[in-house]
Amino acid sequence: MKGLNRRKVLKLAAATAAVGTMPVRAYAQAEPLRVGILTPLTGAGGNDGPRMLKAMQAVFEEVNKAGGVLGRRIETVVEDDQTNPEAAVRAARKLIEVNKVPVILGTWASAVTAAVAPVCWESKTFLMTVSGADTITLLPHQGFLIRTQPNSKLQATSHGEFVASLGSKRVAVIGIQAPFALPTKEHLDTLLKAKGGAVVSHVIYEKDKTTYRSEIDQAMRSNPDFLYLNGYAPDTVVLLRDLYRANINLGKFCQSYAVPQATLDTMPPEVSEGVMTGQPSADVESTAYRSACARLGVKEIDGYEAQATDWASLTVLTIAKAKEASGVALKENVRKISQGSGEKVYNAIDGLKAIAAGKEINYEGASGPCDFTDIGDISGCRFRYMKVAKGKLEFLKLV
Amino acid sequence: MEHYLVAMGVTAGIYALMALGMNVIWGMAGLINLGLVGFFAVGAYTSGILTLKFGWPILAGIAAGTLVASLFGVFVALITVRLRGDYLAIVTLGFAETMRIIMSNELWIANGTDGLSGIPGPFRQALGPHAFNLQFLAIVIVAVAILFVLLQRLTRSPFGRVLRGIREDEQVVQVAGKNVVMFKVKAFAVGTAALGLSGALYGHFTSYIAPDLFAPLLTLYIKLSLLSGGLGNNVGAVVGAVLVVFFLESTRFVIPYVPELSAVQGAALREILIAVALLLILRIRARGLIPEKVGDFPLPEPTRASQPLKP
Repeated sequence: MKGLNRRKVLKLAAATAAVGTMPVRAYAQAEPLRVGILTPLTGAGGNDGPRMLKAMQAVFEEVNKAGGVLGRRIETVVEDDQTNPEAAVRAARKLIEVNKVPVILGTWASAVTAAVAPVCWESKTFLMTVSGADTITLLPHQGFLIRTQPNSKLQATSHGEFVASLGSKRVAVIGIQAPFALPTKEHLDTLLKAKGGAVVSHVIYEKDKTTYRSEIDQAMRSNPDFLYLNGYAPDTVVLLRDLYRANINLGKFCQSYAVPQATLDTMPPEVSEGVMTGQPSADVESTAYRSACARLGVKEIDGYEAQATDWASLTVLTIAKAKEASGVALKENVRKISQGSGEKVYNAIDGLKAIAAGKEINYEGASGPCDFTDIGDISGCRFRYMKVAKGKLEFLKLV
Repeated sequence: MEHYLVAMGVTAGIYALMALGMNVIWGMAGLINLGLVGFFAVGAYTSGILTLKFGWPILAGIAAGTLVASLFGVFVALITVRLRGDYLAIVTLGFAETMRIIMSNELWIANGTDGLSGIPGPFRQALGPHAFNLQFLAIVIVAVAILFVLLQRLTRSPFGRVLRGIREDEQVVQVAGKNVVMFKVKAFAVGTAALGLSGALYGHFTSYIAPDLFAPLLTLYIKLSLLSGGLGNNVGAVVGAVLVVFFLESTRFVIPYVPELSAVQGAALREILIAVALLLILRIRARGLIPEKVGDFPLPEPTRASQPLKP
């Protein structure tokens, strides 16, 4: 009995302390607007999820400081998808049924998105994702899903043109086994063949290995003049180290999310020297990318941070436009603020002001123009290419 | 909230089916099988492919999933006949990983890492999501009840006694004239059938399966279920499975109240809590919350031949 009392007292004290820290604002009275975030915080995606989470929270914080949306404060409910479809489905059900969120942001692995998507569309909850598998947008999602990651054709075509522009003819693709692995290689091959080159070898590897030396040797047998590394950060780091140890000095290309600055900082600069990265991006003159960098206090953000920034902004703007926070309202209104002939806005705050002034807007994001097709794919975007010099990412060009 | 509880009830039921199956192999026969998700995957994929690509009725798909998983169980039992303890654990773990890698890389079987989506569920369209979940909860409860009764009978039968004998001392059982290999194979067949059943039900419930689902994480959750509930007894298996799901889910609601903790740290804390729970159970109640009662099982009446001779 005594223990119970002490616990009760502690709980009360904690609750009182929590009440004291609550910001006293005009909108604090209104019920906060809950937004579900379901990113991998542990497991294979544990490297990317926290960065995406931070990017989203930064946007919501900024919006809250400016007075929230529809007079309500935005409150994020964060769950860990554990990079596991089974655990992710349980977490998604909790977000939908208990927290009643109208939207879930942030699924990363394609298998997790494909598992969570049916739960979302059945309960009319909107889902935004980075999953790159082409099959994701082909699911019967009735419009309750959009993704900001270009599909493998858009990506591979742009990457292929970039690789070809470097004068490379014989490209070896070394990639992780994932739904995007095979389509990427095929699109890359088609494009390179048109330019007189080819994919000369395609090696698929398992994640979580401590060395990829045998995969590298297998790829090198075809005598390539360029390496296209199609993996995530943990395995790309191992690959780059092994390539350095093997003294292979070929041009290397990776996805931007595989070598974000935080990962580069963990590597000796000579290992990452010359690695080129690509990520979907908006116009070079667009302020969206720069303001996202400034918000996060970094020099360059990677493709995932940029996309997470855009989800948060799209969510806020759509809710403001629809004057309602429901999954159906998001589904029906997201394209009204993301594309069209309205005034171009580059962040949530400016967008909210324009909507309040009764203007039509067209959100141009940090990851690209954010124009969506009927099935939820982005319809086209530019790519920002960067190169690593002395352990730092440097801007190369925008295509 | 109630819809969420229903969905978690289904999850707990599916965990309970797996725990019951695992209990036959590990709890009763003492064979450490860490390949649990492998058999779960076989059941899920068999039923998924048959109903989705070949238009089989769902019930037939589930029956086939159960049977095929059982056949895989027999196969694994036969190739591991000489292995015990850690060695068996490693080989079975390897089996599950092999299944996952085959399903990831052989795209023609079931779309590789894209997985199978749109697996039909009974009356999914007609009922709508909430009634469908409620219906599925009923199905899972019935499945657990039936399996529980059957396994309870098995436990008390001479067959169950021999399995426990093998667990305690294989040689003694052999000396008693029992065909140990045969019993081990049968234990695997029964246990993996239950695992296949749970996999098939899971596929029809969530409508989507992919190789990523069959990572060792699930095996560990079921192992934790058995250890916490009580290894070797069916009540413990079911109670443990419900407890584990309750624990996994309730931590979601508690952790946000821990002050000064970021979401990332909270997620890590959840994993730490699970590890601590396992350690505590092993330290304080090594035989689980409901320990196996060995004396509970009726012994045969002494026959005249076994009566001590009167002087």
